[in-house]
Amino acid sequence: MPIVEARALTKVFRRPDKGPGLAGSVKHLFARRFQDKVAVDHIDLSIEAGEAVAYVGPNGAGKSTTVKLLSGILVPTEGEVRIDGLHPQRDRMTVAHRIGVLFGQRTQLWWDLPVRESLAVLRDLYGVDHATYRKRLARFDEVLELGEILPVIGRKLSLGQRMRADLAAALIHGPRVVYLDEPTIGLDLAVKDRVREFFRSIRDEGTTVMLTSHDLADIEGFCRRLVIIDEGRIIFDGDLEAVKDRFARERILHVETARPVPLETLRASLPGAQVTVEESEVRYAVRFDRFIMTAGQAVTALAGLTDLVDFRVDEPSIEDVIRRVYSGELVLDETGPRR
Amino acid sequence: MRAYRALARATARSALTYRLNLLLGLGTVFVQLVALLAVWRVILAQSSVNGFTWPQMRVYLLVAFAAGTVVSAFGDFRMAFRILDGDVALDLVKPVDYQKARFAETIGGLWIEVLLIGVVVGVTLAVTGGVRTPAGPALALFVVSMLLLVPLKFLIVYGSTLLCFWTQNFIGVQWARLAVMNLLSGALIPLAYLPGWLATVAQWSPFAGLTSTPALIFLGRVDVRHGLTLVAVQLGWVLLLWFGARLMWRAGLRRLTVNGG
Repeated sequence: MPIVEARALTKVFRRPDKGPGLAGSVKHLFARRFQDKVAVDHIDLSIEAGEAVAYVGPNGAGKSTTVKLLSGILVPTEGEVRIDGLHPQRDRMTVAHRIGVLFGQRTQLWWDLPVRESLAVLRDLYGVDHATYRKRLARFDEVLELGEILPVIGRKLSLGQRMRADLAAALIHGPRVVYLDEPTIGLDLAVKDRVREFFRSIRDEGTTVMLTSHDLADIEGFCRRLVIIDEGRIIFDGDLEAVKDRFARERILHVETARPVPLETLRASLPGAQVTVEESEVRYAVRFDRFIMTAGQAVTALAGLTDLVDFRVDEPSIEDVIRRVYSGELVLDETGPRR
Repeated sequence: MRAYRALARATARSALTYRLNLLLGLGTVFVQLVALLAVWRVILAQSSVNGFTWPQMRVYLLVAFAAGTVVSAFGDFRMAFRILDGDVALDLVKPVDYQKARFAETIGGLWIEVLLIGVVVGVTLAVTGGVRTPAGPALALFVVSMLLLVPLKFLIVYGSTLLCFWTQNFIGVQWARLAVMNLLSGALIPLAYLPGWLATVAQWSPFAGLTSTPALIFLGRVDVRHGLTLVAVQLGWVLLLWFGARLMWRAGLRRLTVNGG
């Protein structure tokens, strides 16, 4: 049985439809008109225990709304959600014990208390026994280096410190499912690395993770499954590596030669690849499909023509693929594997 | 229970963070109290008005002050802000009942309010002379009435703060509540000073229990029998509002819109 299941999940927000300016606002007082905005549109999603799912989409696509529906914060307009077979509104208390939520832009720490106290309040809220609590805290400390921030008052934390403390706060009760909504927003690279390492450690322990992020580096190497949402609909749901294989086949070999070589000669020796001159006349870029030619073959072919000084291969990232999906250049729906 | 105790403790500790704020607040309410005492002293200097003599009014004002200070530091601002800003989302994923959790927080903040009342009333009594405490049964009734005041006031504040789900604005709601509360509770002037029909409405409203009921019982202006009725009305409102607020909360959740992160 899937641990998270959504069927025909829909959320419609009603927004006041006011005309421009003061006149519009006054008119709205007498003739109230509303506009329906469909934030999430009949989403079907099921996540198995232990899966790490990346949930991505452009701004306003409905990512956060989905997370709030899946965690029982928002009541769906239509459709239903089951967490571990439970109804998130009706069984709110039980569900709360099984899920952990982190909203990167919000904190669940007590603003006026030291982090240590905030975590202790959460420990009591969730009824975690002291031994387990100490064990978890020690483990979080290993990766997140909590020690230095435990005595700091909530409102005096820097963003990076706050996020680390909030991660601990979201996981202190050992939830089975964790929703991470923009967990690395605004963090510097060093903290991001640490936080990502932490994600991997909780995933490896069998926690189900749903990760929403604009920073696709959060996703690569962490999530196996990719779900893309746009305008409230899921436009792709499938294997992350498969997407890369299918849509990120192009490799670029950058070479620097000892002497200039005529472009025609290069092209003739590399059929099926595109060769262009880069910033200087001894630097070339070779674009090829990795299913037609390997990087090794390309290098060998070039080495037969001239002395190579240097070379490097660029792999496109999942970021490129998703960017192309957002811009409408790629339509995954028709070709991508669907679940 | 452990969860709610933890919440109460957290507020109790947070309250300490605002020592300076509290000290300033103490100064403000003290000045207000002194001003009210001075005004009524002049008004009642010659003769009693509507049956209130100056010594009685002095006691009335002190009880009104105490009643007004209880549950005043309750984080209605914080709760309203969390609803309007969407931070309430995080309260919703906690394994606690929202209403009970907020009530626990209110209880946690009580100690500092009681301390404040002790200081102000103590100083005032030291300066203006002691008061005669009522006899046993009336005193017991007064204590019960003051205890009921805590959930009653909490529920009125809580319920009106829930209106933020609909109004998307808190200041207006708060002002309206304060205006109604001040007038109908007898905090501004004793209910006996209001026009007859309004006094009757006020007496049966939940607001009378916020000031008028404990003050009248303490003063002995109502006998124990009548006092019992007034306290029963308080209790009735507590129960009614407790369940009413639950319905409101459920309806409010359906209206909840949380934008962004």
